[in-house]
Amino acid sequence: MNTKIIIIYISTFVLGNVYCASDLTEEEIGHVIEGRVFPPEDPNNSNWQLDTRVHVNGGEYIGFVREDGTFVVHNLPSGSYVVEIVHPDYMYEPVRVEINSKGKYRARKVNYVQTSQVIQVPYPLRMKPVTKFRYFQVREQWRLTDFLFNPMVVMMVLPLFLIMILPKMMNDPETKEDLKQISNLAKISDVPEMSEMFTKIFNRGSVPKPTSSKAKQIKKRQ
Amino acid sequence: MGNLSINLKPNFMGLLKCLNSINWFIVFFSLINLSMCIYEDQIGKFDWRQSYVGRIKFAQFDTVSTARKIIVATEENVLAALNLKTGQVVWRHVFESTSSGNIQLLHLSDQIITVTGSNPYLVRGWDLSTGVLIWEWGLTLQKNEHTDFSEWWVQNGLLVHMVPKFGSHIEVSVYNVATGHNRGATSKLPAVWINEGCVLSPPYYTCISGSPGNQLLLSMDVTSDAVQIISKPLAEYTTARNGNLNPFDTNTVIPGFLLNEKIILIRGNKFEAINIAISEPSASVALVDSASGPLVLQTWNDEAKGFTLMAHNLVSGQRVNEIGWSDRSLSIPEPELSAVICTKTAREQHVCRILVTAADDASHLIQQEGRVLWTREEALANVVAVEFVDLPVSDLDAAIESEFDQKEAAKMHSSVLAAFTRRLQSQFQQLQGAVRALLAGDAAAADEPPPLVRDYFNLHKIMVLLTDTGKIFGMDNLSGEILWKLYEPNLNTEAAVMFTRRSARHPPHDAYLTVVGKHEETGNGLIVSLNPIRGTPVGEQTLHLDVQILQCAVLYKADAQKLHALILLDKDENVQILPESSAPLVENMYMHVADRSSAVVRGYALRHDGERVSAKNIWSVDLSGGGSQRVVWSVSKPAAERIHSAGRVLPDRSVLYKHLNPNLVLLLTEGPDPVHKDVVVATCVDGVSGGVLSAHVHRRARRPALPLHSEHFLAYLYYNDKQRRHEIATLELYEGPERWVPAGAAFSSLRGARAPHVQRHAYIVPAAPAAAALSATERSLTDKHVLLALSTGAIVELPWALLEPRRALSPAGEAREEGLVPYAPELPLPAEAVVNYNATLLRLTRIHTAPSGLESTSLVLATGLDLFYTRIAPSKTFDLLKDDFDYYLISVVLAALVLATYSTKYFAARKMLKMAWK
Repeated sequence: MNTKIIIIYISTFVLGNVYCASDLTEEEIGHVIEGRVFPPEDPNNSNWQLDTRVHVNGGEYIGFVREDGTFVVHNLPSGSYVVEIVHPDYMYEPVRVEINSKGKYRARKVNYVQTSQVIQVPYPLRMKPVTKFRYFQVREQWRLTDFLFNPMVVMMVLPLFLIMILPKMMNDPETKEDLKQISNLAKISDVPEMSEMFTKIFNRGSVPKPTSSKAKQIKKRQ
Repeated sequence: MGNLSINLKPNFMGLLKCLNSINWFIVFFSLINLSMCIYEDQIGKFDWRQSYVGRIKFAQFDTVSTARKIIVATEENVLAALNLKTGQVVWRHVFESTSSGNIQLLHLSDQIITVTGSNPYLVRGWDLSTGVLIWEWGLTLQKNEHTDFSEWWVQNGLLVHMVPKFGSHIEVSVYNVATGHNRGATSKLPAVWINEGCVLSPPYYTCISGSPGNQLLLSMDVTSDAVQIISKPLAEYTTARNGNLNPFDTNTVIPGFLLNEKIILIRGNKFEAINIAISEPSASVALVDSASGPLVLQTWNDEAKGFTLMAHNLVSGQRVNEIGWSDRSLSIPEPELSAVICTKTAREQHVCRILVTAADDASHLIQQEGRVLWTREEALANVVAVEFVDLPVSDLDAAIESEFDQKEAAKMHSSVLAAFTRRLQSQFQQLQGAVRALLAGDAAAADEPPPLVRDYFNLHKIMVLLTDTGKIFGMDNLSGEILWKLYEPNLNTEAAVMFTRRSARHPPHDAYLTVVGKHEETGNGLIVSLNPIRGTPVGEQTLHLDVQILQCAVLYKADAQKLHALILLDKDENVQILPESSAPLVENMYMHVADRSSAVVRGYALRHDGERVSAKNIWSVDLSGGGSQRVVWSVSKPAAERIHSAGRVLPDRSVLYKHLNPNLVLLLTEGPDPVHKDVVVATCVDGVSGGVLSAHVHRRARRPALPLHSEHFLAYLYYNDKQRRHEIATLELYEGPERWVPAGAAFSSLRGARAPHVQRHAYIVPAAPAAAALSATERSLTDKHVLLALSTGAIVELPWALLEPRRALSPAGEAREEGLVPYAPELPLPAEAVVNYNATLLRLTRIHTAPSGLESTSLVLATGLDLFYTRIAPSKTFDLLKDDFDYYLISVVLAALVLATYSTKYFAARKMLKMAWK
């Protein structure tokens, strides 16, 4: 019996998701959330009211935008609600609206991390588009400058320049003369060479003699 | 100077530290952002969306505005305008999915008037051409049970609301439609004769009342100022003992009703029986106006003749011959006339457009002579289960595969010569196929739909969708086209499951798919088996069991026909195996059953004793926690999951092994608590041994939802009542730096009782999630991404790395080296991560994922009111060339290189020659 036991166990059990039905007393129902949605500044967006939806608590209550941008969400019991304006292309900031049992309203910014922080916003709500959603990546376009300054291309082009162009320039008579001049200049400028300097320093005493004799010889010839 | 440096130094060090930590963020987020976004020109390349509205409840033709439309209100609480020519949605308004969104009335005049909700009611007016809201007002009535029977209609620009109180009186209120101003308050009309069987045909309310044998047909105009009751003995109109009243399905002309298949009109405060016979008791009858007077239309589904429609002139009682036909090819079960419009052509011919809604939720717009202009399969607005099925390989590929795959055949004639001839044969076939394809050319290929064969990467599949009404669809995943449909009227799909019992990989055997559901009336098991490629019944076909099913599973071993047996555990704890012949294969099989209300989970061991298979209850776990908790979700691992990554490599080159228990079940329970209001408990139970591996309690939390379970990790969402936000809790199970079982050995739940190391975290979801799913790939080597469907209509793709419970608040050196992101409480939901871009999906309910043949790619289908299909690549498409790969450029470069090589060769030769001559 102690041989290898393979246990494969497959079971599928689907259970529906059940939400609690909130039991409400009669006088609690009947609050409304009012506000106004400002259209995105897009000239060809004529029927923006159709695309814009007002969701309270993620679609638990839904409001619709009228021609002028105003909206009313009806039949809310007192409590705390997150009002979102849903538009496929533009982002609107959500607002938390709190209605107490006396029917007083307070609207504040939604902060899911610090839930007790209160930054009040005016009520009735004024919802303005924040930005346009950026869903897409911008495709890279082929540009000559990008291509030329690509390090790989630079690495290719520079040695090519050194190999192909430099010898050609050498053959050119004008450049040859230029080069000659440069080399002459180098000869003229009497830059003391390091090795000479060192030999001068270290061989002081013994070496100066022949040089001085040579100078004498030259002087004699003169 | 010295002072300055002292001030600067700590700041500088701080800045360095800060930069160092930010570095990880930058590296990480740049990686994520790159991996998820799509390009704008890729819209519709890999994805499609289909919009639905639900089963049509009310429909009316828009004859006022220039663009021809049908305005519909549906059972799914949607108000929509459909294009008359194509049937496409022009605009759509979605109300609340709860009873507060129920549409009670749809009325068209110069604007659309709707009444929604069930006390409190909302009356709204919409612009007919644009669909924009014009006005709305609310109405709250005193609560009582009678309001459920209330009726609404519009009469002379006034909204009438009627509440019958059976056996006592009728309450009628009249309102100004646009303002809600109550004209004459509520009037109470005494009527002791009303009961549940009454019908309304505005403004008349008609009942049959009285003792049997002495019954009266009573009717009353409820809007008139003077109460006038029309009363006639029932025996005048029908010979039957019991009268049965039915309203017309569509009536735009004269108030009237149906009494036992007889049409009775109310004209001039008198009943008027019409001498037009209703051919079928189940027929749907409509009264419509036309140029030549009112018409009576009736339609039914005749067993012999199929879909049948008939029209009579109301005044003359004559049949109108040009309207009326039978069509056997149309399958419209229990047709219902939703809306009819009839006009006359120049040649004095009736032209009718008829919108028919069937029992399978499909809507058809039918024109003269039974020509169907369009059909909308509204059942797809309510998908219950989805199964991705592989397509069979093409004949040619099958031949090639059989060449390498025939072990038995090789044994029989193992000579080299036989193998060689087989090879020659198959290659000759390939050549033939190639020549044929070449001769046929492109023109022929373009006309035909692509054949239903597997493509090279196995991206082309068939999706089998099981819908709430019991209609099963086979859909092409690349185009979204419906390939076949099957309507099973008796199937109750509540908690139904689908199994692919044989894939199309085993020719000559066909693929085999089984739906396990309940019978609509008895609640007993109902099993539908079909070929998912063609939609034809196979095997057991439709099987009615005589007992309720407790649990079902598919046997892990296939029989000689490569068919996996279906194992059913019924209410009496008996086991049934389908087919019976597979019973000896049952070995080491375990099942568990979770009772939803009592929260008791029972485990069963299945044994085959030589004759039959029996189930023995071996363990039970009580999760009720003192009786208040109930099971909301029970999720085990996807059965087809293959995991090829056993651990995580840590920076010190050691491996942290995952606890890959295939029998793990996550059970979510919810219940009230005296101290903490509501409590959610997540329990990980081993489905074989019944051992509890871990349990987590969330206080003041409710609505646990959408658990995810794969590999070694689990996640579930819940609503945090205290902080009023949605949170996602994630768990990861690890075995530690050493494996419990040697590599390659099978996992056993019964060996050793070691508890895995559980790591967990919770994150804030700054939105309202509606559904969640994990990406699925062939071998689980690719990163896992979580797909979160939000109530706003977006599907956000999040890498699992962001949800990982191993994220530390401030990662120490090693964790940082591993690439763990520091813990942040709020999950980022950037717009770049939205896979469905601005194609908003309304009322999403579930996301289904399936692996493709490519390791990098996962197929995704989101269901809800809309269907949306796309494919995602969590680790980018590392095994596929980019779709914008420039074949042109690379071929030009290659050609240029070849050219350059040969030309330089030529020039070099010439130079050599010249040199030689010098």
